[in-house]
Amino acid sequence: MSESKLVNTIARERVDNLASQNGEPSWLKELRVSSWEAYLQTPMPTGRDEDWRKTEIESLDLSNLNAIDLSTKKDEKAKLPEWFETALTFFDNHSGVVAEVGQASVPAKLPAELAAKGVIFCTLKEALRDHAELIRPYLSQIESDQKFVLMNKALFNGGTFLYVPPNVEIEGPFVSLTHFTSSNGSPNGVAIFPRLIAVLGSHSKASLVNILSSEPGKENKTTLRSLANVLVEVHVAPGAKCEYLEVQRFDSNVFAVTRTHNQVEQDASVKSLTVALGGSQLKGDIATVLNAKGAESDLQGIVLGDTDEHYSFNTIQKHNAPDTSSNINFRVALKGNAQSIYQGVIEVAKIAQKTAAFQSNKNLLLGNEARADSIPKLEILADDVKCSHGATVGPVDREQVFYLMSRGLSAPAAEELIVTGFFRQILEACTIGRAKDWVYDVLAEKIHGV
Amino acid sequence: MTAKQPILSVQNLHAKVEDKEILKGVNLEIFPGEVHAIMGRNGSGKSTLSYTLMGHPRYVVTEGKILFKGIDITEMTPDERARTGLALAFQYPVAIPGVSVSNFVRASVNAVRGKDVPIKEFRAELKEQMKKLGVANEFLGRYINDGFSGGEKKRLEILQLALLKPALAVLDETDSGLDIDALKTVSEGINNLSNPETAILLITHYQRILNYVEPQFVHVFQDGRIVKSGGGDLSKELEARGYDWVSQELTPSGVS
Ligand SMILES: Nc1ncnc2c1ncn2[C@@H]1O[C@H](COP(=O)(O)OP(=O)(O)O)[C@@H](O)[C@H]1O
Ligand SMILES: [Mg+2]
Repeated sequence: MSESKLVNTIARERVDNLASQNGEPSWLKELRVSSWEAYLQTPMPTGRDEDWRKTEIESLDLSNLNAIDLSTKKDEKAKLPEWFETALTFFDNHSGVVAEVGQASVPAKLPAELAAKGVIFCTLKEALRDHAELIRPYLSQIESDQKFVLMNKALFNGGTFLYVPPNVEIEGPFVSLTHFTSSNGSPNGVAIFPRLIAVLGSHSKASLVNILSSEPGKENKTTLRSLANVLVEVHVAPGAKCEYLEVQRFDSNVFAVTRTHNQVEQDASVKSLTVALGGSQLKGDIATVLNAKGAESDLQGIVLGDTDEHYSFNTIQKHNAPDTSSNINFRVALKGNAQSIYQGVIEVAKIAQKTAAFQSNKNLLLGNEARADSIPKLEILADDVKCSHGATVGPVDREQVFYLMSRGLSAPAAEELIVTGFFRQILEACTIGRAKDWVYDVLAEKIHGV
Repeated sequence: MTAKQPILSVQNLHAKVEDKEILKGVNLEIFPGEVHAIMGRNGSGKSTLSYTLMGHPRYVVTEGKILFKGIDITEMTPDERARTGLALAFQYPVAIPGVSVSNFVRASVNAVRGKDVPIKEFRAELKEQMKKLGVANEFLGRYINDGFSGGEKKRLEILQLALLKPALAVLDETDSGLDIDALKTVSEGINNLSNPETAILLITHYQRILNYVEPQFVHVFQDGRIVKSGGGDLSKELEARGYDWVSQELTPSGVS
């Protein structure tokens, strides 16, 4: 099969080609096509849409992007980025690694005892080939009318699948890497559509680390903007417990649109931490739907921006049932002239009595030109709820800096300590192995601008 | 007479905060081995003096200068002053959530000593000082001054100074808010800071602590300057007669 004949642009032909190229069953092709049609019906968001008002969506030229196929070849020896090898030393108790690096995928090494219990952890492509009937209902369960989600659902061609059978509890995290490159290294005018689906059976327990990154661009080389359109769906069945860590480290030519959807059933819980460390424009949606009594979610977020990066996060805490609780704690620190907007929605349905929903967003402005906005939105229809939200935006406390400097620390060292401390209050809650130690390291790298 | 050079020499120091002049010509010399006390009412400008000595950017020196070990430090940043051997124990130490005491204290000791103290050596030193000051181990994991009681904050200040071994320790109202047991422990900690090469400047508005840390020199601070200086006995006289006595002595009746 000659790849050059493939239509790689974001177009209907691409949808058809993907289906035939991958030998997909007809139901899957139909799913893709119906998503594509809905995609066409949906207007492109503009800067005038509330959710997109700080994202420079106009700077993204979809007609000039070539979609690339993730995991077209299995490669035992595909070169993993050096920093990822380092990261893995922090996850030394992991339960399996799936890595897609450019077009190569490093096959998952799932310990035999987990496979024997019925655990599945593999690329999405393998899952569609080997576990089609198992994954099928999850491909269409979570609906969306968002343009970029529909685009992903029509064009996804990479990503990861995790399945943990009921009553299976797993200690070490599953680790997924999607590292975005093109033929000459850094992504250049290309698009990827990874989709990660995690299914935790009832009363199971597992943790998942999802790392999204791109190859850094070479200096003095004009690179075309590239698109990472990422869809993550986490299904947490009754009584199950899921801990999720996502780290986004895109380079400055990447426009990233990510959507994470946590579906939490009765007495189940999800605890997640999203760490955003780069990309030129980063638009992230994190939705948590508490679908039945006793469902809980605890979402933490860290954004460390620099230069002229734009971050826009929208979180939704959706309470569909009584006795549910949700908490969001989002912290943003901005250097240079980075910008951020955080919009947090709390939605409580009329039947969702006795729910608790909390939201906090704190923004630390380090650069003189940095800017942050915070917009809470409450849509509460039930009357017996506990609900609070709070936001702060401001520079580093000068008294804190003076205190640290008066004990010998230089101004940059003092600032670094304060920023790390600002994030520590969130990171300490992450209980996935030594994940937090790795995150401290990557935060320090970004603070030092390396 | 010794030919020693003063550790601190403050010369006609004027400083303003937000365009309001607070320090109005402070003169003060402190030699190695000495303990000085500055006493004065609330609002007289004592903390402003301590902040200005340490180089807080909000306090702007408009006239005069500060010599420390013979070096003009008036233009130095606070961290440069700290590395030169000056330290301040704050009246109101600020909380820094997320920054643990152990992390910070180690970074601070390394910065001031200008080298990485081996971790084992550092721990031993830290444990010893903590024991002396009755500071519990769990302190190290807590965030700086976050949720600390008044007494805990003051102990942490003295603990840090004990590790930094400054040539001059300025202690701003370290005694306030301490019960009698804490006052004794903290005073002992202060006394341990002093040796023939170092000096102490104790700022207070109560005489109480001076029963435990005995100064050779006492200065009365009023309206942004030192208005009277004397020996250790002056503090007892102030305690007995109040600050009004100094003011009356200085202000002839009818003139204010
Ligand atoms: N940041 C500031 N802004 C405005 N005025 C200040 C500030 N800091 C101190 N002052 C004023 O300076 C004077 C002296 O205050 P301070 O140095 O704290 O006195 P003390 O320590 O002797 O109680 C007071 O009148 C106080 O209101
Ligand atoms: Mg004071």
